[in-house]
Amino acid sequence: MIAPGIKRGTAELAVLSVLEDGPLHGYEMARRIEEQTHGSLRFTLASLYPLLYRLEKRGWVRGVWETSGTGRRRRCYRLTPAGKKKLAPIRAEWSELFRALKRLAKVSHA
Amino acid sequence: MRDWEALVKQRLAGLALEPEETTEVIVEVAAHLEDTCEEMLRHGVTEEEAVRRALSQVGDWKVLQRKIRKAKRRGQVMEKRVRQLWIPGFLTLILSMFFLMVLQKSGLQPRIVMSGSNTVLLYVPWLLSLPFFGALGAYVSSRAGGSRGTALLASVFPMLALSTAYLLMFPIGLAVEGIIGRQVDFSAVATALLRDGVGWLLVPGAALIVGGLLAHALLSTRSSSRSTAIG
Repeated sequence: MIAPGIKRGTAELAVLSVLEDGPLHGYEMARRIEEQTHGSLRFTLASLYPLLYRLEKRGWVRGVWETSGTGRRRRCYRLTPAGKKKLAPIRAEWSELFRALKRLAKVSHA
Repeated sequence: MRDWEALVKQRLAGLALEPEETTEVIVEVAAHLEDTCEEMLRHGVTEEEAVRRALSQVGDWKVLQRKIRKAKRRGQVMEKRVRQLWIPGFLTLILSMFFLMVLQKSGLQPRIVMSGSNTVLLYVPWLLSLPFFGALGAYVSSRAGGSRGTALLASVFPMLALSTAYLLMFPIGLAVEGIIGRQVDFSAVATALLRDGVGWLLVPGAALIVGGLLAHALLSTRSSSRSTAIG
């Protein structure tokens, strides 16, 4: 498991990346992140929604209410053009960080 | 079937957002808890345990409440202040000063009241225009949702800016005194400021606020008659 301090910094990248594949509601998003990181990154409700609301305020994601076939209302989030634009530099920053750590502490990434 | 929305509503009772926004947060958080719980039930966990685990995602509801409020309100206060005060205020300032410049360029002279040592200059055509500019500032502020106080502040904004500039003359004077090493007669400066303050601050400020009050009263009457018509 990754320590919470490190995870906090990766949260924006994780959410924006997972939304790149298509719109998701909060619960699906948390599950998708957990699955794709093999459980290394786990978002609880308490960490996910404040982050989503912050990203929405910045205009990087947009939440839209949708009603499922069973009549349940869910707020689906999608990446906005501004969010898509932001994703590239965030990715570049993290890659740069991994490269630096690799050089410094022989930490490697996949 | 557990009423998740009622539970979340109770736990996030102090959210203090707009009612519609609060409802949306409650529905969304409740849906997340419900989905978590249902998935655990599908995996054979008992209902009691599933509820316990779902709720354990939120260690402290007050912390979550604070985080959500902070995230939702980010930028809102500043944005409101800009739309309700700074934009109408600077609009009033720029227009009133531009009009004064136009009047001065066109050669209109100020009217001198009480000549002698207590000369007060009153720029009558400019003063007559100020209620309109004050009304405009109050109108723009009110349309942006500004309260009565904010609308009036926006209407007298040019005079507040000028007053600040006048007040800054004292520390600037002291600094100049220190630099040039010569004493400035502050009683003369104070008299000049007081005298000019009447013609350039108090009377124009009153003219602006009259316009602001009239515009706000007019807007309030309109909106109350509209709501009466709807109701």
